Amino acid sequence: MEGKIIALEGSEGSGRTIHANALKTFLEEEGYGVVTFGLGLSKLMGEPISKKKRDIVFQRRTLFLSYVTDLADQLENVIKPMVKSGFIALADGYTSTLMAWGLARGLEESWMRDTLNVLPKPYLSLGLVSNSVEIIRRILRKKGNLDPLSSGIDICINEDLFSSYIQYLDTFQENLRRLLQDGILIDTGRTYEVVKDEIAKIVGERIEET
Amino acid sequence: MAGHIIAFEGIDGSGKSSQAKLLKDWLEARVDSYLTEWNSSEWIHEVIKEAKKKSLLTPLTFSLIHATDFADRYERLILPMFLSGFTVVSDRYIYTAYARDTVRGVNLNWVKRLYSFAKKPDVTFFIRVSPEIALKRLTGSRRGIKPQEAGSDVFPELTPEDGFLKYQGMVLEVYDKFAKEEEFVIIDGNRSPREIQMEIRNTVSELLWKER
Repeated sequence: MEGKIIALEGSEGSGRTIHANALKTFLEEEGYGVVTFGLGLSKLMGEPISKKKRDIVFQRRTLFLSYVTDLADQLENVIKPMVKSGFIALADGYTSTLMAWGLARGLEESWMRDTLNVLPKPYLSLGLVSNSVEIIRRILRKKGNLDPLSSGIDICINEDLFSSYIQYLDTFQENLRRLLQDGILIDTGRTYEVVKDEIAKIVGERIEET
Repeated sequence: MAGHIIAFEGIDGSGKSSQAKLLKDWLEARVDSYLTEWNSSEWIHEVIKEAKKKSLLTPLTFSLIHATDFADRYERLILPMFLSGFTVVSDRYIYTAYARDTVRGVNLNWVKRLYSFAKKPDVTFFIRVSPEIALKRLTGSRRGIKPQEAGSDVFPELTPEDGFLKYQGMVLEVYDKFAKEEEFVIIDGNRSPREIQMEIRNTVSELLWKER
């Protein structure tokens, strides 16, 4: 069987990383070779983006293109050859995450689509969504505070960080739901075990189809 | 009132950077003006330099990272300056990407779409010289040929001179194709810099002061 890209899409705190890890373990137990990649993880752009992000928070197009470059670098130099040789590639954030981010900031959907067209389509996209308050609780548990930068403070400056963040997550997730309306959405508001098993079941069935 | 965008295009060694600089100096005393160069975003530029050194770029990432550099300058400098009435002189503009990316095998329609957010220039000066003349100029100066000017990523097997002729020749072909479609003002780059600059100033004067 030829390898595939499986994309886990969602906001920060949606459970992307934790479920990418769980899915990797599952697939490896099933005997597949698995390679992971994702937003902000390239050799070329990863570090520059994390260093510069704060300064270009209002330059949406620049940030969007930085992430497309970032994904392209991983795909061209690492992922494509491995997928070709049969590996399954798990994306911790891929094109739909980028698009939901851009849509929340007014970038043109058709321009983003056309630009992203150059990257391989995922074999399977799983949109991870949850209650926005729950997502914020997860971020607080993990990081201890809300980062104004990732709270979408650039699109909705409100009296407090919490309301800003809620408003942003609602917009982001609304976009993601629409983008993946013909795909698969997974409510990560349930327990870790339940979600993990559901993802494993869906992916397991889909992979066996081929 | 919105300002103007004046673009310069041409192969390496065509003299377009000197012409852009001369124009900017002349404009400075007359209007609010700004000069921006290709590949000069303060943060992406460094990333590109490192990546080229280590040969990390593929045709696709070459294209995307230059688009990121352009977008950074466009969002931060070119667009706000243009919107507030500046005359922006751009040493290379989106057509450079059209040419360089397609020479590397990237789909032209995709590249056009990628850069579709950028405003078309009010005028694009295409300083046209043959690759042979450009090569003679560059090797005649103390500066010599840089690897990227010789298209070393596209033709790694060629000598710098042969690579330059072949690579710049292909870039020139793309420019020639766009000259009509994009209404470039074609400038014969074989004349003296002063003659060329006077022709450019005439056109710019008409654009800036006779349209009112």
